[in-house]
Amino acid sequence: MKIAVCVKQVPDSETRITLAAPGPELDRSGFTRVLNPYDAFAVEEAVRIKERLGADCEITAVTIGPDRAVETLKKDCLAVGCDRAIRVNEPALENAEPLQTAKVLAAVLRRGGYDLILTGKQAIDDDSAQVGPMLAELLDCSQATVVTKLELGQGVFTATCEIEGGAAIVRGSLPAVITCQKGLNEPRLPSLPNIMKAGMKPQETLTCADLGLEIPAARTRITTYSPPPPRAACRMVAADDPAAAARELARLLRDEAKVI
Amino acid sequence: MPNIAVYIEQSGGAAKKVAWQMTAEARRLVDRTGGEVWAVVLGDAAAAAEAGRHGAHRVFTAAGDAFARYDAETWTRALAAFVAARRPDLLLVGATATGKDFAPRLAARLDAACVSDCVGLDFDGGFKLRRPIFAGKCYAEVAVDAPVAVAGVRPNAFPLFAGGGADAPVEGFDPGLGGFAPHASVVETVTSAEKKIELTEAEIIVSGGRGLKEAGNYKLIETLAATMGAAAGASRAIVDAGWVPHSHQVGQTGKTVSPKLYVAVGISGAIQHLAGMSSSKCIVAINKDPNAPIFKAADYGIAADLFEVVPALDEAIRALD
Ligand SMILES: Cc1cc2nc3c(=O)[nH]c(=O)nc-3n(C[C@H](O)[C@H](O)[C@H](O)COP(=O)(O)OP(=O)(O)OC[C@H]3O[C@@H](n4cnc5c(N)ncnc54)[C@H](O)[C@@H]3O)c2cc1C
Repeated sequence: MKIAVCVKQVPDSETRITLAAPGPELDRSGFTRVLNPYDAFAVEEAVRIKERLGADCEITAVTIGPDRAVETLKKDCLAVGCDRAIRVNEPALENAEPLQTAKVLAAVLRRGGYDLILTGKQAIDDDSAQVGPMLAELLDCSQATVVTKLELGQGVFTATCEIEGGAAIVRGSLPAVITCQKGLNEPRLPSLPNIMKAGMKPQETLTCADLGLEIPAARTRITTYSPPPPRAACRMVAADDPAAAARELARLLRDEAKVI
Repeated sequence: MPNIAVYIEQSGGAAKKVAWQMTAEARRLVDRTGGEVWAVVLGDAAAAAEAGRHGAHRVFTAAGDAFARYDAETWTRALAAFVAARRPDLLLVGATATGKDFAPRLAARLDAACVSDCVGLDFDGGFKLRRPIFAGKCYAEVAVDAPVAVAGVRPNAFPLFAGGGADAPVEGFDPGLGGFAPHASVVETVTSAEKKIELTEAEIIVSGGRGLKEAGNYKLIETLAATMGAAAGASRAIVDAGWVPHSHQVGQTGKTVSPKLYVAVGISGAIQHLAGMSSSKCIVAINKDPNAPIFKAADYGIAADLFEVVPALDEAIRALD
């Protein structure tokens, strides 16, 4: 079985975005970058499948990113069990929109003949949750999104997907694109010796030209970044007498906020 | 003069609330700019009759056995056929589990612009869509540079249509499926045993966190939620502790919600929790630590012991009017 895991390096979830005024640029200079946390579930799932299937299985980690993304491939993918890595290095794709990303990833994946393509349910920077389903369409294959359980059979898969108020069981044929959600597994951490050894695993760096691809055009443009809509300061209800405070809160919610 | 198509998602023969929120917002927009709102219904046509009342000018339906159970590929093909035939400028899809599953796939098929989880919709010569990014720490205004855009819309971002609306003519369209068989489909849906209000659809949510101290105390949250006709949510801390299932979790690794009222009880207000609920219209925090970050996000706060305040609030709400 050939497995591809598509990963993205993103600013960590504690990142502060400071925007004094709305504008067309975002200051990204202070960002600390990590593997997208949902992608960690995808990497872990691939490694567990390989551990079950043994030598007959190969995992390729794929990313689009600048030089700093090499660290993510090495430490979070190769050091925990992926076999090889492919990075597309195209400065024009820094901050690409999901469809551009999906088109380039699809070009990489078409060369490999993968049975299973795993990725996170969304990246925590643009929060788009688009690349997985787009890849499935571009590769004309099955998909299952927001997956918390995955079973593989001979050429088929069964996935449990999170939906409103429960779960949907999706069954389909391989190849498939699966987007991973918390609950699927507990990602392991890399050990120092494995990080050292990871440097020896095969790593390929490509450009769009190497893939026979023109850099895909963006279909959308962010014109303004702005701070979240301002909220009035919190109105604290005096609380020395909890029962009175509760009554006052109930009244405010009904008469002032008009939400109950 | 943009024409806006709205996909009407149904569940158990009824349209999802977000579908009518979208037709309403689309109508408010085209009432200013010109153009029409088109409701698109796949399979069960039950919702078609109502669409006009919710702001749609016209309704398009496609019937067939292929729509008996959901799969992303069939939905993608059918809606791509609709877009090819009618050429709307924008197609709105609710940012529900189903919508998020097929909308990007559809955009890829159409080579269209795709924007997820919008909370604002505007037009001046071109569409401008507003959406939270970085887990709500920042908002982006997105311009569309393509002949057609597919946009996901966050449930509860928009109010329903108040303009009355008239009956809208219903017309069939050919979903172009002729013998198409998808590679994968939903074979079963499992809903939780108790019939609870779903978090992403609820108008009011009462959520509990680690301040509840132990699993048994979550019933305080459930009781208050029942009194308020609310859904019961949770922070990740008590999901990870095994007190409640993951389906209750609000936040970055849980559900994104934007109810009218969100009551956070014994929740500190970590950035990953705020990510899931900060677009709620009104936020109430009950926390004994007056410096808890949740108060920075809240509209109303009580800094006191939840074990005293929550039962009193339950009683106070019962005593209203
Ligand atoms: C990658 C990542 C993803 C995450 N995703 C999520 C997510 O989706 N959702 C989420 O919620 N978290 C998420 N977290 C975890 C988050 O960082 C916090 O750890 C979590 O939200 C804390 O939960 P809490 O507020 O219930 O607990 P705590 O932070 O322990 O806060 C408990 C609060 O209760 C108050 N309290 C205690 N006793 C009382 C009392 N008697 N009366 C009143 N108040 C009292 C305390 O003052 C405190 O503020 C994520 C973390 C990471 C790293």
